[in-house]
Amino acid sequence: MSILDWFLDPAQWAGADSIPVQVGYHLLYSGTALLVALAIAVPLGVYIGYTGRGELLVAGAANALRALPTFGLLVLVVMLVAPLVGSRLAFVGPTIVVLVLLAVPPILSGTVAGIQGADPGAVGAARATGYTRPQILWHVQVPCALPLFLSGIRNATLQIVSTATVAAYVSLKGLGRYIIDGRASSDYTQMAAGAVLVAVVALVLELAFLGLGRAVVSPGLTRNPLPTCRRTRTVRPDLVPPSTPRKAAS
Amino acid sequence: MITFEHVSKVYPDGTHAVHDLTFDAPSGRLTVLVGPSGCGKTTSMRMINRLIDPTDGVVSLDGQDTRSVDAIELRRKIGYVIQSAGLFPHRTVVDNVAALPRLLGVGKQQARSRAMELLAKVGLDERFALRYPYQLSGGQQQRVGVARALATDPPFLLMDEPFSAVDPVVRTQLQDSFLQLQRDIGKTIVMVTHDIDEALKLGDQVAVFREGGTLAQVATPSGLLAHPADPFVADFVGASRGYRALGFVEATAPVELADEATVRVGSRPGDAGAVDDGWCVAVDDAHAPLGWVDLRAAGEVVEERHIDFSGTVARADGSLRDLLDAALSSPTGRGLVAGPDGRLRGSVVAAEVLRHVGHGREAEVSS
Repeated sequence: MSILDWFLDPAQWAGADSIPVQVGYHLLYSGTALLVALAIAVPLGVYIGYTGRGELLVAGAANALRALPTFGLLVLVVMLVAPLVGSRLAFVGPTIVVLVLLAVPPILSGTVAGIQGADPGAVGAARATGYTRPQILWHVQVPCALPLFLSGIRNATLQIVSTATVAAYVSLKGLGRYIIDGRASSDYTQMAAGAVLVAVVALVLELAFLGLGRAVVSPGLTRNPLPTCRRTRTVRPDLVPPSTPRKAAS
Repeated sequence: MITFEHVSKVYPDGTHAVHDLTFDAPSGRLTVLVGPSGCGKTTSMRMINRLIDPTDGVVSLDGQDTRSVDAIELRRKIGYVIQSAGLFPHRTVVDNVAALPRLLGVGKQQARSRAMELLAKVGLDERFALRYPYQLSGGQQQRVGVARALATDPPFLLMDEPFSAVDPVVRTQLQDSFLQLQRDIGKTIVMVTHDIDEALKLGDQVAVFREGGTLAQVATPSGLLAHPADPFVADFVGASRGYRALGFVEATAPVELADEATVRVGSRPGDAGAVDDGWCVAVDDAHAPLGWVDLRAAGEVVEERHIDFSGTVARADGSLRDLLDAALSSPTGRGLVAGPDGRLRGSVVAAEVLRHVGHGREAEVSS
């Protein structure tokens, strides 16, 4: 059976273990982990970028977390937690924790770098003209941080989605099922199909982030020459004062 | 009026950034702080809006001690233009100008229409309004920076080397259009620069700082050129100050102008009539002088390539420096003089200008 046949088999598209259900679980675990990671990394990143405190901590922690072996950590956490918790939570919890640990470093460093990388001239001008510090943060630093911030989330998401396959190893659902089960029964078609599905999900998310970036990041920052400016139509022509004689713009 | 009274700034390591500074920046006037780098001029300016707090002395705006006002409130009364423009990269040009009014609660449409007026005022075409800062040249960005500083119509304006990050040609354009703007808006301005030429050109009053953060002299530009307080100021004001000083002297009596024969591009040399030495003035359709033409060298028809553009054109109501420069730069030794309407009035020779220099000096001494 070829991969194409496998995908065309109606049995894969209906029932409790169908492709849509597995994709759904995969996204559920990934989404939960991403939300938790955002809840931790964004406030922390904004605080560190804003105050300049704890930058060394970010660098150190980020590198340390990146070096963690995800798979080994998952097994370890499950072994520690399983005796204490009876339900399925014994497997879901550790899976999420591991994915969160994976996602925090890129989001954190993206946020910190974005906030701190805001054009110092713009920040200085805002301060000198009477913006309060929270106003500088909200009106200048955060919008300027968006490109780096989004790229941090994008990295985190892709890492989560590709790593969430480990959930299957601890008996949970998700696209990892095809890979683990296929391996167990030497069904390499199924394994390959699982890998293809993960790749497709990652690709779709990548495109979604591209769209999100265009929607929320100012063209002034992306320097995108395409006329995507959302504000173009909002200055009404009748508000433009009549032309006055002026020198050629320099 | 911005007043400094015995203001000092000493950093914890003992460095005196500013030492016992006392001077006034009069209302509606442009006061330039100038000096070598590290002389405390920028520190002094930043103490006005409390970006830096003085360790000693009082800075006051219209008699009110700045320390008695909340720093945020204070800064909102004072426009600020920085060297690299410092525009918000994520906002369009019009929204950059409208940003502070919006923050202070002005409606979006109102803030934007006011921003459009200001952009026109600083000489930026309205087609730039919806562009982003990165799409503008340095000079255009700086115009936006000036418009933004004026957005809330603050009575005071601080400018930190506003024209130093652009090339000399653009700088001159920016300076000229800013001078024109200031004549219109009459803000109380303190500007920092390290460029003495800029200080003399723009300032109603120039404060020269020396190393160690002390004030060497405060005077009008012409006062500074004519009566430098000490060798440091004399040296800083630089060479050719005698010639520069003429820039602040106007003729006390009418300058004698000689009539010149004129010719238009496309006409025949014979049309100019009788010409003594072969040179006559090429003028355009509005009778504004373009340059000199040597009719002996021109062929059948006067073309643009026959015009010698080397001479400058002085305005009849200009300074003696402008008149002298026109005479000195002219290929004929006769400087072209135009009226305020741009039409050719006649020519002037250097000797005639120098005759007035003597009178100007006498007038200054007797006053």
